[in-house]
Order: sequence, then C-alpha cells, then structure tokens
Amino acid sequence: MAEGVLSPGVNLEAFSQAIAAIQALRSSVTRVFDCLKDGMRNKETLEGREKGFVAAFQESLHSVSRDLGELERLSNLVGKPSENHPLHNSGLLSLDPVQDKTPLYSQLLQAYKWSNKLQYHAGLASGLLNQQSLKRSANQMGVSAKRRPKAQPTTLVLPPQYVDDVINRIDRMFPEMSIQLSRPNGTSAMLLVTLGKVLKVIVVMRSLFIDRTIVKGYSENVYTEDGKLDIWSKSNYQVFQKVTDHATTALLHYQLPQMPDVVVRSFMTWLRSYIKLFQAPCQRCGKFLQDGLPPTWRDFRTLEAFHDTCRQ
Amino acid sequence: MGVTCVAQVPVAEGKSVQQTVELLTRKLELLGAEKQGTFCVDCETYHTAASTISSQGQTGKLMYVMHNSEYPLSCFGLFENGPCLIADANFDILMVKLKGFFQNAKANKIESRGTRYQYCDFLVKVGTVTMGPSARGISVEVEYCPCVVANDCWNLLMEFMQSFMGNHTPGIPSVFGTKHDSTYSPGDTMVQYMELFNKIRKQQQVPVAGIR
Ligand SMILES: [Zn+2]
Repeated sequence: MAEGVLSPGVNLEAFSQAIAAIQALRSSVTRVFDCLKDGMRNKETLEGREKGFVAAFQESLHSVSRDLGELERLSNLVGKPSENHPLHNSGLLSLDPVQDKTPLYSQLLQAYKWSNKLQYHAGLASGLLNQQSLKRSANQMGVSAKRRPKAQPTTLVLPPQYVDDVINRIDRMFPEMSIQLSRPNGTSAMLLVTLGKVLKVIVVMRSLFIDRTIVKGYSENVYTEDGKLDIWSKSNYQVFQKVTDHATTALLHYQLPQMPDVVVRSFMTWLRSYIKLFQAPCQRCGKFLQDGLPPTWRDFRTLEAFHDTCRQ
Repeated sequence: MGVTCVAQVPVAEGKSVQQTVELLTRKLELLGAEKQGTFCVDCETYHTAASTISSQGQTGKLMYVMHNSEYPLSCFGLFENGPCLIADANFDILMVKLKGFFQNAKANKIESRGTRYQYCDFLVKVGTVTMGPSARGISVEVEYCPCVVANDCWNLLMEFMQSFMGNHTPGIPSVFGTKHDSTYSPGDTMVQYMELFNKIRKQQQVPVAGIR
C-alpha cells in the first residue's frame, strides 16, 4: 500500500542509491579536509613535497566533484514526493500501511473538501442574503457592504498583519481588558485576554475565526511546564468551567462569515461584561448565587447577567 | 487562593459548643457541602521581654506567631494593627533564639480545629476554638476560591453565609476595607483569625472581672 502511494513520484531504487551517494560524498569531503590537515608529507626535496601535496589535493577534489555529480543525477530520478501533498504534513497519514483499519487520510480529504465547499456556499448565500435583506437592519449592512464591496470568498487566508491590526484595535478599545497575541504554532494566532482581576481567557484563532476559548481564574496558571499557553486543561473552578461553556456558545452565536473582524469585536465586547462576574446579581431572580454559582450567563444582546437556569 | 471571611458564631442557647458545631455542619451537609478532611489554625502570643520595655520606656507590644494547616510550609508573624510577616515554617526556631526579646506567653496559646467542607467553589471551615483544655467558642471561615479581589465578591460571600449561618452572618471584615482593588492574600486571613482570637480571649475575661 505504501509503495502504491509513493510510486507515482518516488523511485525507491534510486532513493537507496542516492543515500549511498550521499555517504560517498561525505567521505570524499572528509578526505579533502584530512589532506589539508596533514599538509605536506616528508619528501627529500621541497619541490617533491609540494608536488606530492598538490597531486593528492587535486585527486581528492576530483572525487568530491565526481560524487556530487552522481548524487545530482540520482536526485533527479528520485522525484519530489512531499510537495504534492495538499495537506502538508497531514499528507503523511496516507503512508499508514493499514489503510483499511484506519482510513484517516481519506476521511480527512473528504472533510477538507466538504468544509471548503461549505465555506464557499456559505459565502455565496451570505452575499445573496445581504442584497435581499429587509430594511430593518439593511442600513447598517448597506454601509459596511459599500465599504467592503467584495468580501473575500474565503477569509481563511488573511495576512497575519491584518489579524494583528484587528486585535490591536480591539485591545485599545477596552482599557480594562488586555490582549496578548502570540503565534507559537505557525501562522495561527493565540490570544491571552486578561479581564481586570477577574479572569483570563485563552483564545485560539484560525485566521480571524475563533476556534476555541478556555476561561480560567485570574490567579490560575495558563501556561504549561515548558512556558507555552496551555490550550487544553480546563479551569479548576466550576464558575469558570461554566463561563467557558457559555463562551463556546457565544462563538456559535456571533457569526458573520463576510465580516470576521466584526465577529471578534462582538465576542470581545460580550466577554468584557464578565468584569462584574462576582458583583452583578441575576437580573431575573435578583440573587447572587444559585447552586453555589454566580450569574454566569450574559445575554448576547443586552449583556445582562443571569444564572444559567434563569435565562430564556 | 481566594477571598476569605472569618467569623465567630455564638453558642446556641441551651446547647454546648460541640452541639452548636454539629448544628452548623449538618446545615452545610444538607446544602450539599462535602467533607474534605480537617484543618487547624493556631496562635501563640509573645510579650516583648522586660529588659527592652524598661530601656525604651513604653509598654510592650504583643506579637502573635500563627500557623494555618492550609499553608503547612509557612509561619505567620503578626503585630496588632501592624504588619503581617509571612515566613518559612522554621520561624518558630528563630523565635526560641530570640527569647531575650520576645517571651512566649504559653498560657495564651489558642487554636481552632475542625472540619473542612467544600461546596462548589466555596471552602468552609467550622472550628472549635480552644484555649488550654476548654472550648471557648466557634469559628467559621468561608473562602470563595475563584475571586482575588475582596470587595468584588463580598455580597456573594454574604449571601452564601446567610444560607447556613442565618442571622449570625457577620458584617464586612475590617481587612476588606483597606484592600480596595488589591489582591487578597493569605496574610489577610491570618489577621482575621488574630482578631477573632483576641475577641474570644477578652470574652473570657469578662466574667472574671464581674466576680471581682
Ligand atoms: Zn437567577
């Protein structure tokens, strides 16, 4: 199976020959330096010594160029396997010999195609809907649509600089909220949002889309042992576990595929209302606690505080 | 480390200290709180030694050296109205070496021991305060762990305390007043225990004065 995948681009015979050629090249290069290191050997006359040295040096250089030529010839035969993978490293999944048992790669390709298609259709639908939108909210839409006459069909490929700018603008909007942006894993940004002395939020972005958020206490550790942002472990406190759930719900609520920057700004505005997490009584029952938890829900529109069971 | 309130609960009428503690813990268990081991806070009193008093011509200040089982590696040194020092546990040995300046008033040793409960993000410790062999009162410590700013969660703490302490719910602790928006620290809890212990010691002195 593995051979089947490799064979269109890779000649395995040439591959093993090329490895041998690399070894030969390395040893001939070593010989050049050995020759230089040893210098002129003892010969009776000075002329004899120089001649012997030059001859030996020339010969070892020749063998380097011969080995290099051989390696170049073989490398053309080997072909270029890895660059063909559309999914970069995930393409290596296709090398799994037990394809029948773990059809991860084909599933991955299917999911990738499907998500691309979905993104494309959602973009088209959203464009159409914006044109046909009712007057009620059309004014706002119209203005922003004019400013951005043609939204990009896929917003997954925004330049990092643009993402930085959007985040910086949001950071400056809210004085009690500080946002630290980092890119530990390539182009995707990760945000550490600190809200007053109340909570910290880890936000994992993909371009300008928020993929995942975890809410933790102000005093809780948000880093792993090797100093990276810990995007997997949850808060030790029930109140922040609940807020994490609500924040994930909020990610699904704030959706506007044509304007991802508006989505991030809306989400952050909503998040900021947690500055009074411990101070705001529930707007429905008037109490601070229900089952030991403060009002952890914030209405998406009014930002009012409610207990999880008191909303609706 | 969250925000903590330490309060005294009076002994219920016609009940012993032990019975009142049981009443309180039963209420907590009904609420859904779970038992999580025990706790202990102790406090030793040190007088400034006689030699230093006479040379400076002022009455000796009292110093308190305290321990809290929640922070087993630390030792707290406090002056009344004064600074609170947080030291390593071997601070006790240092105090023995300083006995020329500070003398341990052994009879004044006071401690609170009891059960530790967890309810949601709250920690509750109901303890019996003892001085020497006799039980002298009841302490209740309530900590709201997720919050670090005392004034942010006072209303929430109070509502929780009302749910099992009823009309014995305390007013806002004096240490909260000086904190404003700064972070609450373990030292603030020890100051509250020191104040509670001082209050209980004085309560014991009242009937003695009455007899005279
Ligand atoms: Zn409610």
